[in-house]
This record gives sequence, structure tokens and C-alpha cells, in this order.
Amino acid sequence: MRPKVIKIVIDSKLEEVPSVGRKVREICLSMRLPSFEAFQIELCVVEAVTNSIKHAYRLEAGHQVEITLSIVSDKFVFDICDTGIPMDSKLLEEKGPALSVDADNLESISEKGRGLAIIKKIMDNVVYTSKQGKNCFSMRKKLDLKSVVDTGNLKFEIR
Amino acid sequence: MEILEEKINGVEVLNLTGRLDAFSAKDFKEKVGSLAKEKRVNLVIDMGAIDFIDSSGLGSLVASLRSVNKLGGDIKIASLQDTVRSIFEITRLHRIFEIFDDSFTAAKSF
Repeated sequence: MRPKVIKIVIDSKLEEVPSVGRKVREICLSMRLPSFEAFQIELCVVEAVTNSIKHAYRLEAGHQVEITLSIVSDKFVFDICDTGIPMDSKLLEEKGPALSVDADNLESISEKGRGLAIIKKIMDNVVYTSKQGKNCFSMRKKLDLKSVVDTGNLKFEIR
Repeated sequence: MEILEEKINGVEVLNLTGRLDAFSAKDFKEKVGSLAKEKRVNLVIDMGAIDFIDSSGLGSLVASLRSVNKLGGDIKIASLQDTVRSIFEITRLHRIFEIFDDSFTAAKSF
């Protein structure tokens, strides 16, 4: 099966992120993934793109975020790349309390810091690389091939 | 995201439509903040028309809950779509928010 590649490039503005999310969900649904799974995949892509804009570019517009979706065999592979400040890759290894909650102590529950934990929970594999000024956050998710259709005849608008 | 206000049994209900995400979270927090200034701190957030939420959206709910709690108020969540509810469960936030099937039941619970 030849890999199919879809690339989206956006400016580093938070208002650009919903269009990426909707496109990803549209692709997932067009491949007949269950809506629940399409939502979770959209969420992971949105979290990764938002991280690039917020942390790599510190919310400064005028930079590019590249989102590449490759459908390889029975896997979705998403690469979210930027040229901003690299993330501390140790953050990916942390097994902190991001998703634990002490319901009796509201003050202990953080407003922030759930994005990476959500991605790690939903995706099968996550890798971060930073080389020669380009940072890439790669996420893989195995697909249920019984429910996936060939995307050969589908067309997506790509900026 | 759109926010429409209504009152049920004297309780403020915010009906949200669209996406509660990093882009819209600030608007939501500001809305709750402006209500809190007027001492309107018992709130129902009806999310029946929210079809997407991310960690920033969840964070804005947590921040809002903390701010109204300090003033003796509470936030109750209503009408979650299944996909959105799943993220509350993944992040365990269903343990700190009371979640109701509809805003009428949520308002009555105050």
C-alpha cells in the first residue's frame, strides 16, 4: 500500500487551529473511522499544533506550522513541525500527575499541563525531534482496517 | 464560540455553542469573571452545542470553578455530547464537576 500524504501549512495564530482540527476530523470521518475516534485524533492534532503556537512561537504570528498526515499501511502518522523554540523533550517522558485529580482539593488541580498527557493517552506512539532548527512532534495511531476505506479517490483542500 | 445567557430558577445558565479551545477559552473565562464581579457565582454551563473541547478549554473550566468557589459559588455542567464527555473522563475532571443531562436538572440542584 503506497503511503498517502496530506500536508497543511498554517500561520502561527490560534485562530487558525480550528480549521486544521475540522480538516483532520473530516479526513478521519471520510475514512469511516468512528466519530469517537475521529474526535480523539482531532484533539491530539489540535493539542500539538496549539503547543507549537503557544510554546515554540510564544503566540507570535508570522511563522509556519506544518501538519503532515501520512497514512502508512494500517497507521496514521501525524508530524507537526515548527522552527521555533524547541520543547524540552524530557516533558514527553514525564509521568507526572497531569491526569490525576484530588477531588477534595480544588486548589491542587492545575489549569494547565494536560495537553501532552492527553496525547500520550490517546496515541500509540509519540516522538519529538529537534534538528537543524526544525522541531517535529510525531504521533502514530493504529487504525482499525476493517472500518477504513481507501482514500485514493478522495480530494482534500490543502493550503 | 458563542455564549448565550439565560436564567433558570434564578440560576445563571451559559449556553455555549461551537468549540471551547485555546482560541475561545479566554472569552469564556472573561464571561465568568464578569458574572463573578456581579456576585453571580452559581452557574450552569450548558455544553450541548459544544462539539469540541481541548485541554485549554478544560483549563478554562477549572479556572472558572476555582474563581467562583472562592466566592462561595459553584459551576455545574450540563448536556455534554458523548465525545466531549469522554475527555472529561480521560482527564478525570468528571470527578470535580457535577455533570447533568440537561440544564434544568442542573439548575434545580443548587
